Amino acid sequence: MLAEAKPYVEAFAATRATNEPAWLGRRRDAAIKRFGELGFPTRRQESWRFNDLRPLTRNVFAPARDGATAEPAALDPWKLKVPSHRVVLVNGGFSGKLSAIGALPKGVWLASTARTLADRPELLEPALRETDMAGAQPFAALNAALFADGFVLALEPGVTLGNPVEIIHLEQGVQQSFHLRNLIRLGAGSRATLVETYAGSGANWINAVGVIDLAQGAALTHVTVQDESREAIHLGQNRIELAAKSRYESFVLTLGGRLSRHDSLVKLDGEGAHGVLDGAYLLRGEQEATNATFVEHVAPGGTSREYFKGVAQDRAHGVFLGTIAVRPNAQKTDAHMLNKNLLLSRRAAIDTKPELDILADDVKCSHGATVGDLDEAALFYLESRGIPPDEARRMLVEAFAVEAVERVENPDLRAHLAAHLSRWLAGGDGK
Amino acid sequence: MLDIENLYACIPDGREILKGVTLSVKAGEVHALMGPNGSGKSTLAGILSGKPGYQVTAGTVNYEGRDLLAMPADERAREGVFLAFQYPVEIPGVNNTYFLRAALNARRKQQGKPDLDAGQFLKLVRSKLKLLEIGEDLLQRGVNVGFSGGEKKRNEVFQMAILEPRLAILDETDSGLDIDALQTVAKGINALRDRSRAVVMITHYQRLLNFVVPDRVHVLSGGRIVKSGDKSLALELEKSGYAAYGDAA
Repeated sequence: MLAEAKPYVEAFAATRATNEPAWLGRRRDAAIKRFGELGFPTRRQESWRFNDLRPLTRNVFAPARDGATAEPAALDPWKLKVPSHRVVLVNGGFSGKLSAIGALPKGVWLASTARTLADRPELLEPALRETDMAGAQPFAALNAALFADGFVLALEPGVTLGNPVEIIHLEQGVQQSFHLRNLIRLGAGSRATLVETYAGSGANWINAVGVIDLAQGAALTHVTVQDESREAIHLGQNRIELAAKSRYESFVLTLGGRLSRHDSLVKLDGEGAHGVLDGAYLLRGEQEATNATFVEHVAPGGTSREYFKGVAQDRAHGVFLGTIAVRPNAQKTDAHMLNKNLLLSRRAAIDTKPELDILADDVKCSHGATVGDLDEAALFYLESRGIPPDEARRMLVEAFAVEAVERVENPDLRAHLAAHLSRWLAGGDGK
Repeated sequence: MLDIENLYACIPDGREILKGVTLSVKAGEVHALMGPNGSGKSTLAGILSGKPGYQVTAGTVNYEGRDLLAMPADERAREGVFLAFQYPVEIPGVNNTYFLRAALNARRKQQGKPDLDAGQFLKLVRSKLKLLEIGEDLLQRGVNVGFSGGEKKRNEVFQMAILEPRLAILDETDSGLDIDALQTVAKGINALRDRSRAVVMITHYQRLLNFVVPDRVHVLSGGRIVKSGDKSLALELEKSGYAAYGDAA
């Protein structure tokens, strides 16, 4: 076994739950074995070559299972300003005190993963797949072995959930790891809006895995806000499967974390599926953040759009990795990916790597990436009207980032994201 | 108000464009600065507004008793210097209203006045939109984004009307305007004229001067002011052209 994996394998053995379904126990055993074989990724692996994982590997983050409590006021900066169904987790565990799920329409299941496991294990079973046990992703394997909680949202066919579902995860304290397993399952023709927020003051490691299944004609709008403390480590990956004519539209806003990475793996499995992966990352200090997307067009007639904008200042490091893979059967695919970056200091860095891998001949695909500085002419124009240089720069950075946010269709979510951006730009994040 | 004394300056590629400009503008006056292409008119406007890239090699510029060249561009603006750009810059994502309010409040702060609240600001903006015959939809758009050439010029004069500068420098604000737009822009400039302010209009043509009658007219050629006179000088130039002053174009 690889040395850095050992503490986690040992922690697994020490804390292994005995009251779980037998199938889950077997999968956890297989998963921890796989993690022991894989260990942590290294720069020799292409997908990880831009990442400096030392903040993660230098320490051991003890897996936590019990959650914690927080004051209700701690939610204030993160809550949506509109009515929602709210699930709150603190240090990896569900908080009944802070959650406000409210009345749910018939055909909607929204609960913590632990509760779902107790009451509706059959719902969760598909969220733990072979890939966790046999795949090449060590953090998914570790997550499968160690996860204690998370959230599950399941809609029966034809159900529309009017108010957004809001998941807030707060973390506090130091050197713990929280392995969250989330499941979103939308039945045929159902619709939902989901906002996930990860925030807190601690120096912990969050390892989240989301499994998202959209049946035929289902539609999910999915916003993720990651604004952890600048000592925290956040690794999140979502695996998304889209059936025919389903629509998945996501926006990932990355503002926090010392080291963070968000992977979206989207499989357009049914004909005419539509996937949108948009996002923005604004980084300062010593932050490193990666957004990685893998969009796999399997069925014909699928459309996908990706638009990520990045800002790096001070000594921050932003990474965008994007792959569009078009399989031989996926004719009439229409797939586009664009990544634009602002590099605001000489010691900041951006790595961007958009790729196409096309095996069908009748497709429309494009990709592009830019890295630039602020427009000097625009800067002078603002200054020539009396606006001080610092404020002029802030206005232009905001304009750059807001342009990505403006692609979000829901006006409440757009305003929510824009407010987070403004707060970051004002530097009022208390970090 | 403005005293330019024997000013020499180079553009970024090192070429010397201004070769001893001397010009004095008093409060209450409107000056027209005319001259052939390449004579240094826009360079002078750029230097007065603090545009980066120019290098002043000799001479002084005094603005209301202060060394203008020692002040950064944003400070000049807050102290009442305004440049209407020959080519206004498009800034996508920066909302016009937000931009204007930030600019106005920065200037008011310098003057020791409190910020205008949203209601007061909107009232002011509406009155100036009306003066310049601009639709209110402009306020919701990005700065200069999607504007026609004429709209951009009108927007410059609109900003000037809001900011009420002490010294306005208009760099070819009349070029590319049809006669109706020209009259509207002239109305905006005339509305600003009073005993405490000064205007320097850079132009190729006499046309604008029919509507904004200058107190003084200067011909800039080869980087120096080669002739000064009253408004009749502009009429004379319209007839004879710049040939007598060494057209560099």
